Amino acid sequence: MAARKPIFNQQVLVDTTPLPDSVPKVNEVGATSAPLLSASFFIGARCRPYNDDYMQCKTENPGKGEFECMKEGRRVTRCAASVVDDINKHCLDEFRKHWQCLDNNNHQLWQCRKDEWKLNKCVFDNLKLEKTIPEAQGIPVHLRSKQIYAHYPALRDPGQAPFKKAVDAPGAEAPAS
Amino acid sequence: MLRERLEEDEEQEADDCYFPPQRNLPAPGFKPAALVLGMGAVCVWGFWKLGQGIREQNELAREKMWSRIHLIPLLQAEEDRDLARRHMADQAREKQLTGDNFKVYNSDRFVRPTYAVTPANTTK
Repeated sequence: MAARKPIFNQQVLVDTTPLPDSVPKVNEVGATSAPLLSASFFIGARCRPYNDDYMQCKTENPGKGEFECMKEGRRVTRCAASVVDDINKHCLDEFRKHWQCLDNNNHQLWQCRKDEWKLNKCVFDNLKLEKTIPEAQGIPVHLRSKQIYAHYPALRDPGQAPFKKAVDAPGAEAPAS
Repeated sequence: MLRERLEEDEEQEADDCYFPPQRNLPAPGFKPAALVLGMGAVCVWGFWKLGQGIREQNELAREKMWSRIHLIPLLQAEEDRDLARRHMADQAREKQLTGDNFKVYNSDRFVRPTYAVTPANTTK
């Protein structure tokens, strides 16, 4: 597959012809990078089988996956869209706070742990989706209460006096392995 | 002056009560061993902190990598659907204009088009 994109410098030309009616319709997710990054582990938690199916199909059809794997691709998109819809329905405030924090912090996940913990808790309580990092060493990095590279201590708000917590760390009692 | 002092020294050496001007004063500053030990301690502390930082960076990289692994099928599926849509539209247009689809490549692989037919008049 040649990965050369036709680029028109003088004008923006987009072919708007829709897919033929023989192909089932699917709505695209339509989220930008920060919401996707914020929701990625929940998408992974619910849609792992669909994702794996799709990637297997792409591997088994080199050069033809664009057409052979459309069914799997629609499943992937529907599943991810369902996750984003559910998060929007149940945890809209926490979700917004987290992805806006990511947008403001160069998409560095470790700068937004406070918002992430609130979002993770809300998503786990409502959707039963949990963020797990496979093969993590020690305490998973998203549960650590001390973030070496963060601008502010993870447990305190910017400008807050020391020796007081703004939020409880979820990983404080997590066992180190 | 010097001669006088030398003579004085000779006189003093002849004296029984003379003992040489030996200065058993401690050397100024820290002992070399203490300096080396201190430097070693600072270095050990620094490498320990460096190791902590590297390990945390590895974990952060793992987190970022997995978030992208979870997202790639979604992004790829969207891109593929868009490519298929454009390709089918191209093929339909070609068939409408020439009555047949000309087979450009001697394989059935999908090749992303480099050139695209553009309309003579654009609406915007």
